[in-house]
Amino acid sequence: MASNIASGFAYLERNAGVTSWQLRPEGEPVLNFVKPLPAPWLLVVINTAVAPMLNADVLPGLSALSESIVRESAIAFVNSTTSPGLEGATLDVDDGTRQSEQWRSSLGFAAEFTLKRPIFNGYWGVGIIGGSLSDQSELVADNGQTVQLDLTREVVALRGSFGLSFPINQYVKIRPYLSLSVSDLQTESIVDGLSGLPAPDPQTTTAVFNTSAQMLSTTGSLEALFSRWYGEKRLELSVHYHLIHTDAISEDNPVLQTKAWNDVLQLKSRYSGPTGLTSLGRSWRWLLYANHTNFVSQKRISLGYTSLFEFGGGMEWRMNIKPLDWFGWQMLGIKAGVITSEHVEGYFLGMTAR
Amino acid sequence: MCGCLLLSACVQAPVFETHNHAVLRSNYPVVRLNGEAIEPSYRLDLAAGSTVAVIVYNTYQFDYHCTFSWEAKSGTVYEVTDQENRYPLTLYRWVRTNSLWASRLEPTDPLDCVKKKRGSA
Repeated sequence: MASNIASGFAYLERNAGVTSWQLRPEGEPVLNFVKPLPAPWLLVVINTAVAPMLNADVLPGLSALSESIVRESAIAFVNSTTSPGLEGATLDVDDGTRQSEQWRSSLGFAAEFTLKRPIFNGYWGVGIIGGSLSDQSELVADNGQTVQLDLTREVVALRGSFGLSFPINQYVKIRPYLSLSVSDLQTESIVDGLSGLPAPDPQTTTAVFNTSAQMLSTTGSLEALFSRWYGEKRLELSVHYHLIHTDAISEDNPVLQTKAWNDVLQLKSRYSGPTGLTSLGRSWRWLLYANHTNFVSQKRISLGYTSLFEFGGGMEWRMNIKPLDWFGWQMLGIKAGVITSEHVEGYFLGMTAR
Repeated sequence: MCGCLLLSACVQAPVFETHNHAVLRSNYPVVRLNGEAIEPSYRLDLAAGSTVAVIVYNTYQFDYHCTFSWEAKSGTVYEVTDQENRYPLTLYRWVRTNSLWASRLEPTDPLDCVKKKRGSA
């Protein structure tokens, strides 16, 4: 056993980039959790840092965890934060067996620009995106042992988009575009309550890991947009499909040396009208919106959800400026909404620009 | 430094033909001016006064011939573009705010937009 622990420790140092350890006597609680989970919840133990030790050779009894699940989880977090079409959000997942809090926020802008000779127009966008995830769960290992996990992920990404916009008629546009984003993912993992941890002290049941990964995502997007005015009111409906190829690189976690395809489908609707209010000679409009986002290829065990519904409202100010005398910036607005799905509650409150 | 110089050169005040002229800039071709057919143009110098212009918004299914009528003021820039408003095109008064951006003011809808089959006169 001692040799197993020592070799396991060396394995972790060599392959998982362990940067810190906390040694704690067995039985001392680290995290407060909900009721014990069924064995399938082992699959939720998804962490880039823990990944290399999640082999049956290192931790017997956790062989149900596969490297593919570890990869999918990390990529799902990045995709659910940085994919085009997503706006800010704060999400709480609580299904009785898992508690997590995720937020994402972005500062960016996208607009069309006119190409005078051809019928189609150009489309571009840039954005800086940040997000974090705090995921806490309690697991029951194969032998009945309780394992507690506290995962914290943080990501910062830059994204640029470029494409075309094809007006079919006055009401309908088709917009294909390509986005490139670079993400830096940092993960801290605390594993507690797992006897047989690969550490020198047999009493050790807690380990802390810090790892990082960089991801290059290439996203092909296709959007169909419909908009129509009814008097002073405007209805907008759109369908967005994003096919994402992710190339992940990690110097301290070989499990994340991987590539993956994922896709996201979004349905968006919006209804707006005049308020009669003006500021600096420009009008304010109210708006109501309802969106649905489906992370089509994402597995539920990755983040605890695969789809989201968002409803809300806000106000938009038609400031109508033309930065660099190049593209139109029509609206600056404030928006608030609630986000919901099975076992998910969340909200959005922020500014929008378009 | 070079970037600042480039940026500050982005929004430039237009040059007017004479003191009694205005400028019309359009992202879509102007095909008729004051009742006369003209070569499709994207920038026109206008004599100040009552102006009627027909501008075509092209799509893959239809062409929308939008007729604008307004009183062009001397030394003023007007701009026509698509902003997903009630009509396919909107006329604005363009004003240089500073070297970084311009403002589009006083949105004006066309009198009407006639939908024609793509490519028909």
